[in-house]
Amino acid sequence: MSDYSVVGKKLPRVDAVEKVTGAAQYGADVHPAGMLYGKIVRSKHAHAKILSIDTSEAEKLPGVRAIVTQDDVPSGRRVFATDKVLYLGEPLAAVAATDADVAEEAAELIKIEYEVLPVVQDVMESIKSSAPRLHGDETKDGPNRRDISAKIKELSSDQEDDNSDEIRKLKAELEKYSDEVYYNISAETHNEAGDVEKGFAESDVIVEDTYVIPRVHQTYMEPHVSVASADSSGKITVWASTQGPFAIRSGIAGTLGIPLTQINVIGTTMGGGFGGRFGVIITHVPAVLLSQKSGRPVRVQMTREEEFLDGRPAPGCVIKIKTGATNDGHILARQALAFWDSGSVSGASIGSTIRVRGVYKIPNIKIDAYGVHTNKSGTAAYRAPGAPQAIFAGESQLDDIAEQIGMDPVKFRLMNMREEGDSVPAGGSEPKVGYKETLEAVADAAGWWDRESDDNQGWGVAVGDWTNGCGPGGVYVSVHEDGSARIFHGSMDITGTDTAITQIIAEILTVPYENVTIRRGDTDSAPYSTGSGGSVVTFTMGNTAKLAAEDARRRILELAAERLNTNEDNLELKDGAVHIVTADPPKSISLGELAAYSLSTTGGPIVGKGAFARQPSTPALAAQIAKVEVDPDTGRTRVLKLVASQDVGFAINPMAVEGQIEGGVVQGYAWAMMEEMQYGDNGNINPGFVDYRVPTSADLPTVESVIVEVPAPNGPYGAKGVGEPPITPTLATMANAVKDAVGIRVTELPIKPEKVVEALKNNGHGA
Amino acid sequence: MAKHPVSLKVNGDEHDLLIEPRKTLLAVLRDTIGLTGTKEGCSTGDCGACTVIVDGKAVTSCMVLGVTASGKEITTIEGLASDGELHPIQQAFIDTGGYQCGFCTPGFIMASKALVDENPDRTEEEFRFALGGNICRCTGYTKILEAVLQAAEEIRTDS
Repeated sequence: MSDYSVVGKKLPRVDAVEKVTGAAQYGADVHPAGMLYGKIVRSKHAHAKILSIDTSEAEKLPGVRAIVTQDDVPSGRRVFATDKVLYLGEPLAAVAATDADVAEEAAELIKIEYEVLPVVQDVMESIKSSAPRLHGDETKDGPNRRDISAKIKELSSDQEDDNSDEIRKLKAELEKYSDEVYYNISAETHNEAGDVEKGFAESDVIVEDTYVIPRVHQTYMEPHVSVASADSSGKITVWASTQGPFAIRSGIAGTLGIPLTQINVIGTTMGGGFGGRFGVIITHVPAVLLSQKSGRPVRVQMTREEEFLDGRPAPGCVIKIKTGATNDGHILARQALAFWDSGSVSGASIGSTIRVRGVYKIPNIKIDAYGVHTNKSGTAAYRAPGAPQAIFAGESQLDDIAEQIGMDPVKFRLMNMREEGDSVPAGGSEPKVGYKETLEAVADAAGWWDRESDDNQGWGVAVGDWTNGCGPGGVYVSVHEDGSARIFHGSMDITGTDTAITQIIAEILTVPYENVTIRRGDTDSAPYSTGSGGSVVTFTMGNTAKLAAEDARRRILELAAERLNTNEDNLELKDGAVHIVTADPPKSISLGELAAYSLSTTGGPIVGKGAFARQPSTPALAAQIAKVEVDPDTGRTRVLKLVASQDVGFAINPMAVEGQIEGGVVQGYAWAMMEEMQYGDNGNINPGFVDYRVPTSADLPTVESVIVEVPAPNGPYGAKGVGEPPITPTLATMANAVKDAVGIRVTELPIKPEKVVEALKNNGHGA
Repeated sequence: MAKHPVSLKVNGDEHDLLIEPRKTLLAVLRDTIGLTGTKEGCSTGDCGACTVIVDGKAVTSCMVLGVTASGKEITTIEGLASDGELHPIQQAFIDTGGYQCGFCTPGFIMASKALVDENPDRTEEEFRFALGGNICRCTGYTKILEAVLQAAEEIRTDS
């Protein structure tokens, strides 16, 4: 790997200067001539029937140019609530005015009459028959063992053959469901491998707990914003702060019934996303509607408060989990029943419940997971969606098992980790992944094996896994007469991905890194690109970039052979020039000269094209160790040491990779210790940074990161996606450290000081 | 709403403006003068993204009314580099990877500049505490602290 000259190096990012001088253009920095300011009118109740919406007073306010409601959505797709609202802050209308303050005033003048309905915010309450139904008849009251049993009975009485295909199918279906009947269910998923009952029966130790994980907000620093401009021909331009401009284009087209080619989405520099910046309706569609109606460009920008009320945060959940193991440390069975708070719509990451299995050989496993409606906004992805929640439950319980059988938590994990060639639950066999290497690396770096603790100090360890996604992408690269190269593509930079693409192309074309520039096109001009989420970009666009650079290199060698009158086999591309390997004295031609020459050839300029959609990805492991000190009087937990290792495959830019690890760990720390969206009878009660505390530099010490490189067979240079894994184990790492420090197993996050004090009192440890 | 005459000196340039009394300094800088490098992250003075330097002090410009800044000298992120040379703090953020999405970066750089100008001899712990008014969601702060310490060191050596 050390043979590379550009990849694998800590190089400054390609967007460095614009980011430190304030020149980078984010969504709210776009200001076309004549632009109006939009404001969304939001529900003041968490659950209510809408009796009337009266916009007449607002229309009279000087400066107001357009007001839109659901009546202005020709497709009928739900953009604004009409019949009833399901959460505090749900959009009902939008206003555009010549000034931001006037728009806000106008929004307040719109009169809405409500009939308030009963509210349910707790998933465990919402599944009860006594809970208000949020979606009336639309949501099934189930899954329903009782219904299926009744159907079998009914069929049995009609048919003589109790083993008919239909009954057999129903019986198989029945196996999946628990005996309970649940209400307000938005989605469900069931997985089973082996026989958990048998596994528990053979276990020496069984631990069973219920874990509660709060809803948290991605809290990207740039609130959602879009600027839309509809011209008189109907062509729509949208400057969007989004992770996926192409998804926004198709989303707007689908929601408003506009042809795809009539919409151009320009992705603006993204002020953080973490999975929460894919929504279409959130600001983009209202901005388009307001621009269509007013005939002027319109900016719709959310405030921080609106982000908390109507963003799409990570779902909270309740996970009942049970694990069985033998006294000599073999995990035999694990079962989980999870209720994910999906808010007013379906879509919580319920499928991630399966991640309770971790990276361990667990022969018997059973998972039942349900999405449950509550009177909250819908949810979206947040950095490894669903994994931190499931892994918190799984890795916390693993420590309790290790304690009961008297085994070191690191050794217990090492002993149970899957190895290359082991069968994996999804089918096939385990590839080579640095599971053990990564855990051993963090243990060594943190000083785990000879760890010491004073009173009220403790050490915690946990691991989390995630596999990067993959998607379509396209890249062009041109080589110019001055020997420089220019990249053109359509994927949003997500904190360093443009830099990785540039490094890969510079490496292959042997052009100095600073002479390779990169430009992102809009959806009208750039090749299709998948959204920048799911740790896909470096994997997908890195492979795409490699293909484009290799394509350009082919043309370069073809031109050089022609120009130097030799065979391509005698040529080598090195240091920005093509050399005849065998020539004495040496003979070469520079890339600039070749690019100039190409302009008068039949084949034309040097343009490399790369396109790629998918290859199997390889899992990545993050392993972390924390040392903490808990003050038994105040309950405050102070982090003394936080070390994070990660199998990244290959670090194309180690500085950017470290940054991803450090950032992910701190987000995980915050979820464990501080963050929680809180809900009262009328919706969210902490919509701001004073009541929803996120960490600052004063809260934490330096995070130490350790890079482990076990190459992924299909990754560019062996690279894996690095953004998501680091958040996955931190919740459990912190909880396990607190447990080790003061003997308290916190099962309900966040680990706030008052909870610790209370638990210490109950344990007899308190003052 | 009636507008008031206001004179602001921003990055060395004089601006004579007529502004509504309800407009914040942040809104005046971004919407009236067109200096969009200063960011709006919360509008409540809690995140520090809108930090600018007013008469030598770092302030959150979303918490200052534009009319009250009349006659004051204001430096924004756009005014930091001089003659094409980045300020040592800007360079340090690049060298250490002290930014990711970059949205909080102008605020962090301005807050750091005010701190380093005031006293470059702070310890890491003191800088950590002093920068507690700025939120970054991407970096986990490790590389931001490295950047500030590197810049402070350089400024100490130069002076």
